[in-house]
Amino acid sequence: MKDIREDIAWAQINKDVLKSLENPRKLYWVILFIAIAMVGVAVGCEVYQYNVGLGVGNFDNPHMWGLYIATFIFWIGMSHSGTLLSAILHLMHADWRKPIYRFAEAMTTFSLMTAGLFVAVHLGRIWQIYFALPYPNMRQVWPNFQSPLLWDAMAIFTYLSSSILFLYIGMIPDLAICRDNMHSGWRRKLYTALALGWEGTDRQWRNFRMTYLTIACFLIPLAVSVHSIVASDFGMSQQPGWHITSFPPYFVAGALYSGCAAIITLFIILRYVFKFEEYMTMPILKKIVRLTFAISMVWTYLVWVEYATAWFGHNPHDQHLLLEKATGTYAPFWWMMNFCASVVPLILVFKRFQTNIPVLFAVSLLLNLGMWLERWMIVAPTFADGYYPWTWDHNQWPSLVQWGIVFGSFGWFTMLFMIFCKIFPSVSMYEVKEMVYHRSLATKKLQATGELAAAGKGAH
Amino acid sequence: MSISTLFENYSEFRHRHPDGDVPHNPYKWAMAIDLDACSGCNACSVACYAENNLPVVGKEKFAHGQAMHWMRIERYWDQDGREFPDRGARYLPMLCQQCEAAPCETVCPVGATNHTPDGLNSQIYNRCIGSRYCSSNCPYKVRYFNWYDYPTTDNVWPAEMNMQLNPDVTVRSKGVMEKCTFCIQRIRGAEIDAKTQGRLVRDDGELQTACQQACPTSAISFGNLVDPESKVHKQWRAQQVDLDKHEQVKDEEEGGTDLRGYRIYEFLAPYPSIMYLERVRESEI
Amino acid sequence: MSKRHLLALFTDFDAAEKVVTELRNLGIKGFNAEKDMIVKSPIEHPEVEEFLGDRPVRVQWFTLFGAVGMGALMFLLISASQGNFFAQMKGGKPIVPFPPNFVLTYELFILGGVYITVLGFLICAGLPARRSPLYSAKVSEDQIGILVQADESASGTLKSIFTKHRALEIQEEAGK
Repeated sequence: MKDIREDIAWAQINKDVLKSLENPRKLYWVILFIAIAMVGVAVGCEVYQYNVGLGVGNFDNPHMWGLYIATFIFWIGMSHSGTLLSAILHLMHADWRKPIYRFAEAMTTFSLMTAGLFVAVHLGRIWQIYFALPYPNMRQVWPNFQSPLLWDAMAIFTYLSSSILFLYIGMIPDLAICRDNMHSGWRRKLYTALALGWEGTDRQWRNFRMTYLTIACFLIPLAVSVHSIVASDFGMSQQPGWHITSFPPYFVAGALYSGCAAIITLFIILRYVFKFEEYMTMPILKKIVRLTFAISMVWTYLVWVEYATAWFGHNPHDQHLLLEKATGTYAPFWWMMNFCASVVPLILVFKRFQTNIPVLFAVSLLLNLGMWLERWMIVAPTFADGYYPWTWDHNQWPSLVQWGIVFGSFGWFTMLFMIFCKIFPSVSMYEVKEMVYHRSLATKKLQATGELAAAGKGAH
Repeated sequence: MSISTLFENYSEFRHRHPDGDVPHNPYKWAMAIDLDACSGCNACSVACYAENNLPVVGKEKFAHGQAMHWMRIERYWDQDGREFPDRGARYLPMLCQQCEAAPCETVCPVGATNHTPDGLNSQIYNRCIGSRYCSSNCPYKVRYFNWYDYPTTDNVWPAEMNMQLNPDVTVRSKGVMEKCTFCIQRIRGAEIDAKTQGRLVRDDGELQTACQQACPTSAISFGNLVDPESKVHKQWRAQQVDLDKHEQVKDEEEGGTDLRGYRIYEFLAPYPSIMYLERVRESEI
Repeated sequence: MSKRHLLALFTDFDAAEKVVTELRNLGIKGFNAEKDMIVKSPIEHPEVEEFLGDRPVRVQWFTLFGAVGMGALMFLLISASQGNFFAQMKGGKPIVPFPPNFVLTYELFILGGVYITVLGFLICAGLPARRSPLYSAKVSEDQIGILVQADESASGTLKSIFTKHRALEIQEEAGK
């Protein structure tokens, strides 16, 4: 299994990564085209829903929320592992994150943007969305700061803007490289503007390091808080199946889980599409896979904690709801979710599957299917079997409009992500240089002390 | 300026309600519904449609669960394997419980639903952006959402029928939440009349909700709970139901536990303003 | 007296370190090693700071004031706006409730911290910057650059030191 060569020339790194901005494989254009077509579907559905009203989504009383909120949580969750890779692993000096954190960070940003769309799509009066913003006005009317939805808005705004800044700050040295290597066209102008005149001086690097570290430190508690706040949309309500103390950590674990699975998917796609075989190596993939497996087991534990609390907590409403989930209308999806998210990851235990690309691609998609179903199974059954008996026995199925918008959101995400990867370097050039530099230093040190043979392959 | 307002009224801004708090004064609107008198005739519901400009959504949307009946009659049957289960039907008129600590109010992101000084759970249609969080958190599911733009939908109010719309009540457009208001247009009218005449609203039928007015068996009584002379106050007292308790003790007098008065889902502590009187049955019907 | 700029490129950090150390120890007249010397590198390299001497980083002060200031300010503003917002009760909770305000303060603490840190970064690192008089794209690739500013009289000495340490390339330009 080949890892990144320690003796790779730095100029070669520049050349390889810059090439990804120019000529990806044909598959890139296929993916982009499909993604844009999917966005078209969603736009069509949204225009229809905007004009006619939310009833076209097949909502009713009591089924007030549906796929929109479930998918909103899903996308918020997806955003978390970007932070895990870029911030937590940065603090832990895990150098294998360096070739892959940039696209993970971009994934964070774009999945947050997708999630933000669902907040809007879900509203009955999307054109009044600014009512939820705290802006000073003559009438002195403010949003309701007590509402978890408002905390959500605030947390997502903070997370989105901080992630964009983090992504951007970390990219400045690379933008300077692009600027130095592009000699004409709008791209050069763009890179010149965005690079802010970066020249890699000692003063710039010094402040850069401190800034990057500080924002990484801020992002970790922020990411945890964002999904706990999404969890409090449910935890702070009074409904059975929602009012559960373990929801915040459960949501955070689920977020990291689906995010890691998505990283595997995108890793495989990017590696092929942009010919990054040299940088996105198998040892790195193996590490992400192991991380994903660990998190999947954390999630499995927490989901069983949830079931146990509902079952053993002796609250008849919670017990009833759990039974309904396992045997009622939603039972096929509930079982599928448990299978996809708790049983399927067991495959990752086997060493030979940890680097098997077709298997990993399928597994990562299944894991995310499971995680999406999990969000749906949190949101929907509570409406079908809540406290009030009058609302029971009333089944509802989301209409094609809802499905269309959910479907299109995947296209929206893919579109933004693919455009990003074509315009900006999706492998961090300067950090890969740091990585090979430090690895080669470590190797040299070992060679000098004659311990190379004993220690095996070298650092890490 | 804002900050000085904050500091001047700090203690007022920090007090909570209703446990251990003073009751609303001079008005606290409340209701008592005697299920023993209810015959399930739906007159209250029809009256509500007429009074509050509720859209008539039609058979299909009704079956779909998109009906807008602020006042609904729920039917329940005993499931004990009897021969004619239909004969055991019980009726429950369900409307917004106007909770004193309403779960729907805290969660609204724009503050479109609030607790009013006379003890109502108000809904501001113009402010609502349709996040539907209030309904999600409502234990009674008595909030209704405008899934479509009903005023422009065919056959909701067909020609001429629109002439019967109540001018005191707005017609709601698509994308807003609505619910029973205890006929707030009548309440405000009566309160203002009384104020101009320098008195309080009388408990002699001066103020009636539409459902109360239409009920043929007078199962619904409505009035000012803080007025010791009002019928509602007397009913609540007789049943030993207290507004600010989430568990009624009923040990003031002998036989208190046999009293019929109860409030729905008190254990969730929303402190509803409607007391129901349990149905009395001599034998299994 | 007119100043001259010189940019010398080296293959690795070790060579650059030797040059910097020599320049700092020699004390050439008309050249202040603490102020007139800039090291440019393609990667972040903490050792650069060690051999360049103590040059402080002050971004963290921006972070501190940004986070604490924004958090405190927003807590007060949110409470104040709640006092103004109809001042009508919701769900029996106080009009100025602490748990939600702490949640929001927490978010705004982070928001302020991140924003002001970035502002501090731009100020401390002097970005966006005008491009320096001498630059080579090689610096963003794989070479280490040393940019010095010196009186004309000193430039000869500097050049000879660069050549001695096998500079790959020396650029020279008359300064302002």
